[in-house]
Amino acid sequence: MRTPVIRTERLIKRFGPFTALNGIDLEVYAGEVHALLGDNGAGKSTLIRLLSGVHQPTEGQIYVDGEPVSFRSPRDASKAGIGTVYQDLALNPLMSVTRNFFMGRELYTGPRPFGALRMAEMDRITHDEMIKIGIDVSDPQQAVGTMSGGQRQTLAIARAIYFGAKVLILDEPTSALGQKQQMEVLKTMMRVRARGDIAIIFITHNEVHSKLVADRFTFLALGEVIGKGSRDELAGEDIRHLMAGGVEMRDLEKELADIQAM
Amino acid sequence: MTQTQAAAGRRETDRLNKGGTLRRLSRRPEIGAFAVMVLVVAAIAIASGGTAFNPLGLKNNMAVIAQFGIIATAACLLMIAGEFDLSIGSMIGFAGMSMTMMLKWGLPFGLGEATPFTAFALTLVMTLGIGWLIGTIVVRSGLSSFIVTLAFLFFLRGVTEVAFRVINNSTQISGLPDYKQTSWFADLFGGQTFGWFYDAWFWLGGNINRAGAQWVTGFDARVMWWIVIALAAWFVLARTQAGNWIFATGDNRESARANGVPVNKVRIALFMFTAFAATIFAACQVFETNTADASKGNLKELEAIAIAVVGGTLMTGGFGSVLGVVFGAITFGLVANAVFFIPAIDGSYYRVFVGAVLLLAVFLNENLRKRITGGL
Repeated sequence: MRTPVIRTERLIKRFGPFTALNGIDLEVYAGEVHALLGDNGAGKSTLIRLLSGVHQPTEGQIYVDGEPVSFRSPRDASKAGIGTVYQDLALNPLMSVTRNFFMGRELYTGPRPFGALRMAEMDRITHDEMIKIGIDVSDPQQAVGTMSGGQRQTLAIARAIYFGAKVLILDEPTSALGQKQQMEVLKTMMRVRARGDIAIIFITHNEVHSKLVADRFTFLALGEVIGKGSRDELAGEDIRHLMAGGVEMRDLEKELADIQAM
Repeated sequence: MTQTQAAAGRRETDRLNKGGTLRRLSRRPEIGAFAVMVLVVAAIAIASGGTAFNPLGLKNNMAVIAQFGIIATAACLLMIAGEFDLSIGSMIGFAGMSMTMMLKWGLPFGLGEATPFTAFALTLVMTLGIGWLIGTIVVRSGLSSFIVTLAFLFFLRGVTEVAFRVINNSTQISGLPDYKQTSWFADLFGGQTFGWFYDAWFWLGGNINRAGAQWVTGFDARVMWWIVIALAAWFVLARTQAGNWIFATGDNRESARANGVPVNKVRIALFMFTAFAATIFAACQVFETNTADASKGNLKELEAIAIAVVGGTLMTGGFGSVLGVVFGAITFGLVANAVFFIPAIDGSYYRVFVGAVLLLAVFLNENLRKRITGGL
């Protein structure tokens, strides 16, 4: 049996009287896309924040490569190899692709922080890393503001991987994009998956997208896991049912019909 | 379904038109400032009948340009990091007061007579301390730097006036000995520099001959300080890790922070840099004229910001260039000084010019920002 890259054991997070997460068990394996699905308020964001070190769990334990860890800050999580790509992507639109790629981790010669940037080398690395996951940035000096949403997403992913992420947490990477751009991002995810050494946690609302790329699914509702399984174990109908937080589609259709009849 | 050949082979990356050299140039922040500078140099050369660029004219113009350049460079870096400093002018007054008072009345705490070096060093410690305090208040409180530095604009000017009145019984100091004759340190700020330039001009037969002797012997020392500060600022901004941090801090502070950029340290350091520039400005003034008064540096903070904006620095941060500020300083210095070369105009014309050019620059910068980010 393989060791999961990330495993959580009965994770509980309370904010005062409010229980955001109530005992989450999760296993994420390298070379797999793990879709994390659930409606708004299901606890997806809280779970990500625990995994990326923004919040600390009230109870329960996170394991990375089988070792128990406790993250006090996002920096700790990032050191442990957990790279989070948030919806805002943490990119600066007026700066060049290269300057964004190396933001805060520049290559330089000389004393910090006044060392001279090794710009040619950084341009080359940026270009090469972007090619690896499918985008040819012809000019690494172009401003990020000129890139499409899909390209920006790819840049943020390439950056996280280059700086040592074993686990990529993608927070609704397709939600703000057009149809074609969404497909670009899914392709990027599949290229990363094909490397085999990186685990992807894919947070999404989109049932179709999750079915296209995910190997494993976990469904959250009201802070608890209401369903989980591999692609083979889950039938298509189940996914839609679980996505809606356990509400039967038939019930919804009936409710809508009732309203129409009024 | 039919798909045309062209559509099938096209990629997202093909949509970025990199354009020719001209298009690339048009995306540079300093291009507008350069065009305005060329116009102003030509206009003033013609209107003054060439006197603005004769040996003495050039020296006088460079003195004003360098003054503007020193503070505008610091204001530009701070603005790129997304903050303002309205206390620059009052800081100049404060630093000038501090240095001359020490030279006249001795060092504080009974430390004895002041030399130009000790007066300058102690003043610099104070101004850097105030710069640190301003920066710390801004980053800790999360208040707008506009308001915090506005408070220091009033506070420092007031302190300067009170100190003058209480200790000196007058809001100005004059009659200090000419330190630059006796102290190499004072000469570094108040003396002359690039003498070889005028020596060569004289030797080549230039018109700086009065009764057989060369009568313009060099630029004011502040020209050297401006060049040093501008070169250092250019290198740091464009070529170093710190420069990347400055851009990142001003463009989107939260994403910079998320990537590990020490955004608070960057901003505090830049508030200290504007205080440093104001102190150099004041030292050059003090050691050149051996005088000071409580109103020195008045409104200089607004001119510094105006020059930075005309030089292509975005008000919203994240974008700008030191070279643009050089062009802006030359433009503003020439126009501010034009009254001495063009008899028909007075200082009011300068303010009309500043207002008009500033408004134009803001529109151009906004247009530029959209062009960089692909909005145009």
